[in-house]
Amino acid sequence: MSLIPGLGIAKGMALTMRRFFEPKVTVKYPEERYEVAPKFRGRLQLLYDEWGTLKCETCFQCAQSCPIECIDMGGVDTRGRYHVHWGAPEQYGERREESALRRSGRPVPDPAFRPFEPVDLAEVDSVLDDFDHDPARMLDILEATQTAYGYLPVAALKRISHATGAWYAIIYGTASFYAHLRFEPPTAVDQAAAVARHRPAESTYLAALDATLGRNQRSDAPAQAQA
Amino acid sequence: MTVISRGWGRLTLSGKVVFTVVPLLLALTVGLVAAIVLLGKPLIDTLAANLPIVRFAVAATAILVMTIPTAFLIIYMEMKIIAQMNLRIGPDRVGPYGSLLSVVHGLKVLMKEDFTPTGADSTVFTWAPVVVYLASVMTLLVIPFAPGLFGQDLNIGLLYFFAMGSLGVVGLLMGGWSSYNKYSLLGGLRAAAQVVSYEIPLTLSVVGLILLAGTMSLNQIVLNQAGWFTDWYVFQQPLGALIFFIAATAEANRTPFDLTEADSEIVAGFATEYSGMRFGFFFFAEYVNVFIISALTVTLYFGGWNAPFAWPFPTGVVIDPGSLGIGLILLVAIVPVVLTLVFAAPFWIASSRIKGWQALVIGFVLTNLFIVGLLGAWAYVELDWVAGILWFMLKTYLFVFTFVWMRGTLPRVRIDQLMDFAWKWLLPAALLNLFVTASAIMVLNVLGKVPS
Repeated sequence: MSLIPGLGIAKGMALTMRRFFEPKVTVKYPEERYEVAPKFRGRLQLLYDEWGTLKCETCFQCAQSCPIECIDMGGVDTRGRYHVHWGAPEQYGERREESALRRSGRPVPDPAFRPFEPVDLAEVDSVLDDFDHDPARMLDILEATQTAYGYLPVAALKRISHATGAWYAIIYGTASFYAHLRFEPPTAVDQAAAVARHRPAESTYLAALDATLGRNQRSDAPAQAQA
Repeated sequence: MTVISRGWGRLTLSGKVVFTVVPLLLALTVGLVAAIVLLGKPLIDTLAANLPIVRFAVAATAILVMTIPTAFLIIYMEMKIIAQMNLRIGPDRVGPYGSLLSVVHGLKVLMKEDFTPTGADSTVFTWAPVVVYLASVMTLLVIPFAPGLFGQDLNIGLLYFFAMGSLGVVGLLMGGWSSYNKYSLLGGLRAAAQVVSYEIPLTLSVVGLILLAGTMSLNQIVLNQAGWFTDWYVFQQPLGALIFFIAATAEANRTPFDLTEADSEIVAGFATEYSGMRFGFFFFAEYVNVFIISALTVTLYFGGWNAPFAWPFPTGVVIDPGSLGIGLILLVAIVPVVLTLVFAAPFWIASSRIKGWQALVIGFVLTNLFIVGLLGAWAYVELDWVAGILWFMLKTYLFVFTFVWMRGTLPRVRIDQLMDFAWKWLLPAALLNLFVTASAIMVLNVLGKVPS
């Protein structure tokens, strides 16, 4: 109880009047959307079915597609026999879809690990030496690595992470943020598209030149295809 | 027949409306013209001889027609303003800024099933909303909107107003009783108790004003307040105005006294069993009531249609278009062109982005706005009913805004707090106000200074 009767009412009325002129919080959803960070993947959560059992079948699809490898999981196959784990390639093969292949002795197709194919790490090491293993100069290191390999192999990134001490996830994030860094070897189509995108007049000129000279395919050095 | 019914079935809803309304209007117009042409003079003579009756009929029709858009507007205002106060945007889909949403609500209510519960007294059940609605609409008949613009200038206008206003209670009781539902009945009784309780301070708070004004004619009360805004009765009767405002809030079942038909509660009191347009009438009556109590507050305490200042300059524009002769033709022909060029020039000069024709379009639009503004200013100065209705509506909608603002702010009181407040605070305060006013008038009379 305040001493002045009606003071609370006056305060409340003043508050609503102030709110009346403040910016509104509504987002008109289909037309407007919140700005979400490009790396945002939502909240990780395991769902339960109506009987209280985990819906997760340990298929590892989420771990395969996770761009920053933050998903790690262990589980048991449906008959409760084998422990399955997302980890090194040899253990990864314990997934039950491929166990038949494994028992038959054939090689297990491993699409998730194709980017992890080993590369010659000497060039990364020399690049790292040039930049003094300094994680603060990560962008320079990545650009130099791309110049050396033509793209950023995952193995090289892991090497960089190991040598500089920076987290792999952060390095991956940095590399995926910049448009001119890429994780796949560039194809001729990519390069032509990149050239056409950034230098339209030049591509027209080059096309005319090709037509004149009778060439039907261009082969630029991969290092020069940076946009 | 089949062709007609099949074609009718293919029409959309709007098509059906157009195909019914347009022929009806055409028939009405043709009939009216035919009646005037055929009956002619005797008809006009009869109408002229019974001018009061014609005036009443026209006023009643106009008021009845006026209430629907008013209710739509106030419902829209409420949705939009409360949303803004809640940091929301509010309706923005139907029409510009969602302004047609309340109209769509009205159509929705019309299309809903109109349900009568088993065991209900269907006659009373049907008539209850009509009584409530008409009770609030009929009060508008005595409110002066502008000089000379009122339904009837009754010498007991204020008494008529309160009498009509209290008639709404009968409607509430009818609705509650005829619903064959004990909760409806309880709701109706509660609503009646509230409205009847607040009727007493409401009426008593105005008695002081009646003593001051010496009349119960609303038109005369407004005329008494002419001049500067210091002549308004709110400055002579501040306590009375406050009591009147609070009691009127309770009369109209508005927050914080809206427990009879609170929208946020599941059970809607006396209107529990109502649906469709019969509920719509209750709903509309509530919003018409908001307009009415705002209008009455303005009329009684805030100078009605009087401007808050006395216009210090001599008004009246002395232009006789006929005296200009050939100049008039030149004026009509040349001035718009010159004005268009004059308005277009700055845009054309200021920005090289604006092309010549774009500048001309801007100039044309600005010229039209200028002329419309000039005409409006002329109408304001010259026609006192334009100025009057402008000021009256401005003040009234300020009070409507205040009611909405209160609804966006204040929590609902409990029924015992409601009754306590009416009988223990408002009634003594109203009596005190009456006593002080009467004493002051006595003293002034003894001193020989009779108040205006």
